[in-house]
Amino acid sequence: MRTAQLLQKQLNRLALCALVALGGASLPIGAAAASTQSITVAMHYPSPPRALLDQFTKQTGIKVNWVEIGWDDLQTKIAAAATSNVYFADATDVDWSKVGEYAKTGWFYPLNQWFNPAQLKPDVPQVDTFEVDGRLIGMPFDASFMVTTVNTKDFRNAGVSQVPSTLAGFTSALKRVQATGMAHPLDIHFAAAEGLSTCWYQMTAAFGGRVLDRAENPAFTSPSSPGYKAMAWMVNAYRDGLVPKGNINMPDYTGFTTEMAKNRVAAVLCDYSGSVGSIYNVPSSSSVVGQTAYVPTPGANGPGANVANPDGIGIPKTARDPKAAALFIKWFTGTRNQAIWAGLNGPKDVIEGFPLPMRLSSLDLLAKSGKLAQAQQLEQLLRQHAEAPFLEGAPSWYPAFSNAVYTNIHEAAAGQESVQQAVQAIASQVRQLKS
Amino acid sequence: MSRPASQGRLLPYILISPLVVFIGALSFYPTVLSTVQAFFRVTPLDPPTRFNGLENFRDLFASSAVRTSIANTAAYVVIGVVFSVVLGTAIASALQQHFRFRGVVLALVVLPWALPGVVEAVIWNWMYDPNFGVVNSVLRSLHLIGSYQVFLGLSRWLTVALIELSQIWQITPLMALIILAALQSVPRDFYEAAHVDGANRRQSFRYLTLPLIRPALAVSSVEALVLSLNIFDQVYVLNGNATLGSSLMLQTYIVTFQDLNFGQGYALSLVATVATALLSMTVIALLYRRSQA
Repeated sequence: MRTAQLLQKQLNRLALCALVALGGASLPIGAAAASTQSITVAMHYPSPPRALLDQFTKQTGIKVNWVEIGWDDLQTKIAAAATSNVYFADATDVDWSKVGEYAKTGWFYPLNQWFNPAQLKPDVPQVDTFEVDGRLIGMPFDASFMVTTVNTKDFRNAGVSQVPSTLAGFTSALKRVQATGMAHPLDIHFAAAEGLSTCWYQMTAAFGGRVLDRAENPAFTSPSSPGYKAMAWMVNAYRDGLVPKGNINMPDYTGFTTEMAKNRVAAVLCDYSGSVGSIYNVPSSSSVVGQTAYVPTPGANGPGANVANPDGIGIPKTARDPKAAALFIKWFTGTRNQAIWAGLNGPKDVIEGFPLPMRLSSLDLLAKSGKLAQAQQLEQLLRQHAEAPFLEGAPSWYPAFSNAVYTNIHEAAAGQESVQQAVQAIASQVRQLKS
Repeated sequence: MSRPASQGRLLPYILISPLVVFIGALSFYPTVLSTVQAFFRVTPLDPPTRFNGLENFRDLFASSAVRTSIANTAAYVVIGVVFSVVLGTAIASALQQHFRFRGVVLALVVLPWALPGVVEAVIWNWMYDPNFGVVNSVLRSLHLIGSYQVFLGLSRWLTVALIELSQIWQITPLMALIILAALQSVPRDFYEAAHVDGANRRQSFRYLTLPLIRPALAVSSVEALVLSLNIFDQVYVLNGNATLGSSLMLQTYIVTFQDLNFGQGYALSLVATVATALLSMTVIALLYRRSQA
């Protein structure tokens, strides 16, 4: 009898546990169903100010839960949620480099029903980066593009009053800065991370070309090609000591920009648009306030192009409330709000680390207000020199390609292989990915 | 009378059934699924899923990045197992002695084990930093280097050794605790008898302690093996995605979540699982069973 009672007790406990588990599991679902006008936005940026998000809620009745996740973790989360068909956010990051992949996998709603790319184009020059076969995979929400930043004081001290616009002249100028006592005057990413790949595309553009042709074939295998020259120039800059040796293992962008902010380097190639205002001119963390400036990117025969790497926002197919998410994206990318994220209302409403508004009209607002360092120069760079790194948009196999790019350039810089071997390894990977 | 008896026989099965369901759902099912999918082409970039035999394995072993990561992982395992078990034994032997503040020392020794791997890797990253790292500072003050050096990312085996050092720092406390528990179970009479027979401390350790703690050494070696074979956090934080110090787990992550080649990811996971099982069985056969005999 005691065994029977014990069994009964255990069964009761099990039933209770099951009840609690089921009840616990059903609670969030019930709660979510009751508040359908609440959306989750998962981004790798800090949240806009709470007061402004509350204003959006007042206007639309949609409450926004902003979740900040690191870029790499967010990409993994997007892939894991999409492949397992599980909800994780109503709106999330669509990086420029992922556009081809998302177009192929169909993980995101095309935004064409809410936004017209043709109408946006005059005000949003980078919108076509997010368009594949007429489908708008994501809406750009900033105008990040690669720029060259220099410490004008260091260059002047080295007797260089005008920063040269050719790479040969720029290299000589850097050597003159080096001769004044700055051991390694140039910052370039060399860690095996996305930043190194992007920098190679930037330097290839500076040499007057692109890494892949229109048919997505390697355009960098010939020693006379811009891609080959760019890689050789970068690797030589590292091996010759122009670049700090520690950059080989510095994947963190903050650590990278600290080099410039603490005046351990005098120039940054492949810097982000907005760094002067948001990092180098911030007295609490910089010792070079007022000394840095954007300059035209030195090229093979004169000013080179600037590679655009804007961030976008899109609506995953697993979103619970795509319409509310689209309303939020409209609000988030509106002319005035874009200017506010970059400092129109002063520092209190800035989104930390926000590079530049994606709308030219927002840049105009900022330029007129005088609250953005070198706003007119940035606007000019954006209008005239910002180019997408790939002629036909990022290929669907971009992540594997980028992985081959940064691991091989990293190994070439570390002396583990030659530039020729690195180029061949990347080209071989492209052929394999295309087959 | 027979009904309660049959219920009594059922009770253990009912009690363990939640655990069986739990292990089945979270361990057995994914293992079977991964094993089967390892022989399929599974990628959202090229649907549908289709059988491709051993192609995933062929492609993986043809990749120099994968081969490098396997060689690196072998180095992580050898360095990790040898050093963490030897150091763990030394620390456990020291902690077996009675001394003042032994409890505090024990708590401090356990501390690295309590910290997450990522946090520890970030700390070691600062220590190895080429601009302000304490390792550079100490070596320079000892006049072993003339100027600050870059330790990570330039030399393959130095990078592997330094990454594994950070993991040894993390896992050695666990080995020390396992071995300490075994040391404390050795009766003191044995040592007294050995002393009477003329054995010195070294001989007591060699011929008495080591054979008696062999099962614990086997368990700690297998623990160290599994942890170092699955090293990820330290590699990712200290070396990024570079092939130079890449591990099998990092390569699995890259293939699966960056390249979105899930089939190859399953295949690489299967390789890691089989390697872990075979190596663990070898260690147990070498250490544990011999001690049982």
